[in-house]
Amino acid sequence: MGVARRAGVGAGIVLLAVALAAVGAVTAAPSGTMLTVGLDQEPPTLDPEASPSAVTFQIIPDVTESLLYQGLDGKIQPWLASAYKVSPDGKSFTFTLRADAKFTDGTPVNAEAVKWNFDRVVNPNYKAGGSLSALSGYAGSTVVDDHTVRIDFKAPYAPFLSYAAGGTLALVSPKATQTQGSDVNLKPVGSGQYVVSEYVPKDHITLTRNADYDRKPPWSDHQGPAYVNTIVWKFIPEAGTRVTTVESGETQMISGLSLPAATLSHLATERTLRIDRNPYPGAPRIWVLNVRMAPTNDLKVRQAIEYGINRAAIADSVFKGLGTTACAPLTQQTLKTPSLCNAYPYDPKKAAQLLDEDGWKMGPNNIRQKDGKPLTLTINSINYGSGNLPEIELLQGQLLALGIDARIKSQARPPWYEDNYHCATNGPVLFLRSTDPDGLFALFDSANIGGNFNWACYSNPEVDKLLQTGRETYDPAKRSAIYRQIEKILVDQAISVPLVDEYSVWIVRSNVTGTKYNFSGYPILTDVKIGK
Amino acid sequence: MIRYISARLLATVPVVFGVTIAVFSMLYLIPGDPVKMMLSEFQTSPEQIARMRAQLHLNDPFFVQYGRFVWNGLHGNLGTSIRDDRPVTQEIFEVLPQTVQLAVAALALSSLLGMALGILAALRQNSWVDIGAMTLATLGISMPSFWLGLILILIFSLRLELLPAAGGGDLPHLIMPAVALGLGAAAIIARLTRSSMLDILRTEFVTTARAKGLTGRTVVLRHALLNALIPTITIFGLQFGTLLTGTVFIETVFGRPGLGRLAIQAILNKDFPLVQGSVLIFALGYVVVNLLVDIVYAVVDPRIRYQ
Repeated sequence: MGVARRAGVGAGIVLLAVALAAVGAVTAAPSGTMLTVGLDQEPPTLDPEASPSAVTFQIIPDVTESLLYQGLDGKIQPWLASAYKVSPDGKSFTFTLRADAKFTDGTPVNAEAVKWNFDRVVNPNYKAGGSLSALSGYAGSTVVDDHTVRIDFKAPYAPFLSYAAGGTLALVSPKATQTQGSDVNLKPVGSGQYVVSEYVPKDHITLTRNADYDRKPPWSDHQGPAYVNTIVWKFIPEAGTRVTTVESGETQMISGLSLPAATLSHLATERTLRIDRNPYPGAPRIWVLNVRMAPTNDLKVRQAIEYGINRAAIADSVFKGLGTTACAPLTQQTLKTPSLCNAYPYDPKKAAQLLDEDGWKMGPNNIRQKDGKPLTLTINSINYGSGNLPEIELLQGQLLALGIDARIKSQARPPWYEDNYHCATNGPVLFLRSTDPDGLFALFDSANIGGNFNWACYSNPEVDKLLQTGRETYDPAKRSAIYRQIEKILVDQAISVPLVDEYSVWIVRSNVTGTKYNFSGYPILTDVKIGK
Repeated sequence: MIRYISARLLATVPVVFGVTIAVFSMLYLIPGDPVKMMLSEFQTSPEQIARMRAQLHLNDPFFVQYGRFVWNGLHGNLGTSIRDDRPVTQEIFEVLPQTVQLAVAALALSSLLGMALGILAALRQNSWVDIGAMTLATLGISMPSFWLGLILILIFSLRLELLPAAGGGDLPHLIMPAVALGLGAAAIIARLTRSSMLDILRTEFVTTARAKGLTGRTVVLRHALLNALIPTITIFGLQFGTLLTGTVFIETVFGRPGLGRLAIQAILNKDFPLVQGSVLIFALGYVVVNLLVDIVYAVVDPRIRYQ
C-alpha cells in the first residue's frame, strides 16, 4: 500500500534527520586557547565575600586576589600585599600594598579599597558568607597611607594571616561593586588574571584573560597574563555525564566531587587522563555527635560508636581514591596527630562490651535496649537531590551491626541547618574546609552552639579557653601543641567520629599541563597550557 | 468558534486561580519558619531575620499577602530569589526559552515519529512492520527518560564522539535531550494512533470512500487520518505535562539550563520565591497548552464547537 510506504518514509525521515544532524554536529576539538572545566554544581554567588559555599572558591582564584597567598606547602606569601607586620600585642596587622595592582575596572587596589572590602563584610546590612567568621573580632581598618592599611582586632588573632590568604577575604573593586548592584553575584570585579565575561545561569561561566595583567603571582611560573585565553566553567550535576565529557574531550578537566566509588580507578587506567589529588585542609568528613541528646549524651555509647565504626571500610569503598581514613577532628594535612589514629581501633567486640556495661543489652530484632527502650538515634543528612548519601547508609549498616537502630534524616540543606542549630538530631555528618587549625573554634567553641558550626552542641570551658589561647598564640610550635591538646580532649570524650580525610580530586586530560592548587585544594588555572 | 474559544478561556480562570492559591500556600504548608530556612546558611542576626520578614510581608494576613502576590505577579514581579538575590522573573526568563525549546523539540519528534509509526502499523496490521513498530513502542514506554539519556550519552558522546553530552544552546546540544525526552511520548502516540486508525479504517464511511473509487492515499490522509487524530490530540495535551516533568530529569542528566533544573535547585535550597515562580510558570504552561489543545479540537472536529 502506497500510504504505508509513505508513513514508513516519514518515520525514516525523522530518524534520518536526527542522525544527519548528529553527524553534522561533531563536537569541536579542544582548542589551545580554551579550557572547559566541568563542575558538579553552580555556585550560589561568585561574590567571594558573600559566599558560604566552597564552589565559589573553586572558580574565583583566577578572578579575584587576596592580600596574601597560601600554597600547598602551607607557607604564607605576599600577593596583593608585598609585606605585612603584626603588632607586638598581636591585635593589629599592617599590610603594605603593591603599587602596581589594579582592579580590572581600572581602579587601584589601594588601602581605601581594602578598608572598604572589610567594612563591607561586617556591615549588618550585607549578607556575608564565610568571610564574616574570617573577620571574627574585627575592630576596623585604618588607611595609613595610599598603600598601607592597618587591620585591627579586639583580641590577638593569629589565624588571620591564613584567612587573609583565603578566598573569602579576596578583594573586589569598590567602584564596580557599588554600581553593579546584585550583578556582583554573577560578575564580581577583581584584580586577577581573568575577568568574568559571561554568566549563563544553570549552564556555564566564561572567564576571559585579563591581557593587562603584568605581575607575577606567587604560584606562577611567569610574569604577565595567563596562557589560556578563555576558561569555561560548565555545571554538570550528573556525575556520569561529567565523567563522559572529560573522557570524550568535551571538557578538559572535571571535579571529582561525588563521583561513584568505582569511577576513579577506572579513570586512572585511561592514558588520556591524569588525576590531580591534594588533601583538603580543615575538618575531615566527620560525624559530630550531639552530646545533649540521648543516647549520644552518654560517653560510653559514644565510645562504643567510635570502636564500632569501620572507618577504613568507608574510606575504601564510598571514598575510594577520594580520601583516606581520618583520625581526629582536624585532617592530618592540617595537624599531624598520629597517636590519635590509634585511639579507637575498629573493634566491634569492645564496642559491644561497652554497650553491655552501660546496660544496653541485645534485644529483639538485634536492637539493643535498656529499661525496655530501644537504642535508636538519628543522623542528620543533607539530601543533594539524589536521596540518601552512600556513606551515611554504610554508617547506618555498621551501627545496626552493633545493635543500634540509626535513622537517617535525609533533608534539603536549609532544614538540615535548622536541625543542627537546634541540636535536634544526634548529629550531622559534615566537613569544614578551614585553612587554619582554628577551624576547631567554629566546630567546638560553646559560643557557636546554635550557630555555625558547633553542632555537637558541646560546651567545655577548658576547650573554650584553649581555643581562645590558640587564636592568641603566634608561635607555630606552641600553637600546634595547643591544638593537639584540644584534639586529645575531643577524642577522649568521643565528641565526633572522624571518617575520611578527603582529597580535592580533579580529573584532567593529559594534554593539559600547569594546573596549580592553593592550600585549600582549589585549582588555579593561570599557568595552564593545552598541548596536542 | 469565537463563542467556543471564549468559553474555554473563561474556564481557565478558576484553574489559574486554583494554581495561584496552591502555589502561594506552599510557603505556609512547609514546616519551619520560612525566613530562617531561607537564611539558614548565613550567620544572621534577629534584626536581619525581622527585616527579611518585613521584606516578604510575612507579617500581613494571609489574604493580603495572597492579593499582593497576584497583583505583583500580574505586573511581572514574582519577588526576589533568596539565594541569588536576583529577580525571580529574570531568573525564570533566562532559562525558560531552553525548556520550551526542549519540550517543543521533544513534542515535535514524538508526534512525527509516533504518528508515522502508528499509521504504518495500522495499515500493515499483523505484519512484521506492525510487530516491529509496536515492539519499539513498548520499549519506548518502558525506558525511563533519564536512563535512555545516559545510554545515548555513552553511545553518541563517549563511543562515537558525535554529540556533546552536556550544556545547552545550539542544535547539537538539543538532539540527545529531545530524543531521550520524546521517545516515551512517541511510543504512546504510536500505540494510540495505531488503535484509532484501525477503528476508523473499519468504519462505513471509509468503506464508502473506497467504494467511490478514491485512491488509498486520499482515503487514508483525508478521511481516516483526520478522524483518527482526535484522540491523539488529547494525548498531546497530557503528554506535554509529562514532557514538562521530564525536563526536570533530562536537564539534570544533560547539564542543560532550564526551568526544571532551576526548580529543583530552588526546592533543594528552599528558595521559596523561586520555587513559587517556577511552579507557577510550569502550571501556567500546562494550562495554556491544554487550552490550545481544546481549540485545535474544535478546528479538527466541528462537532465539538457546536456542542
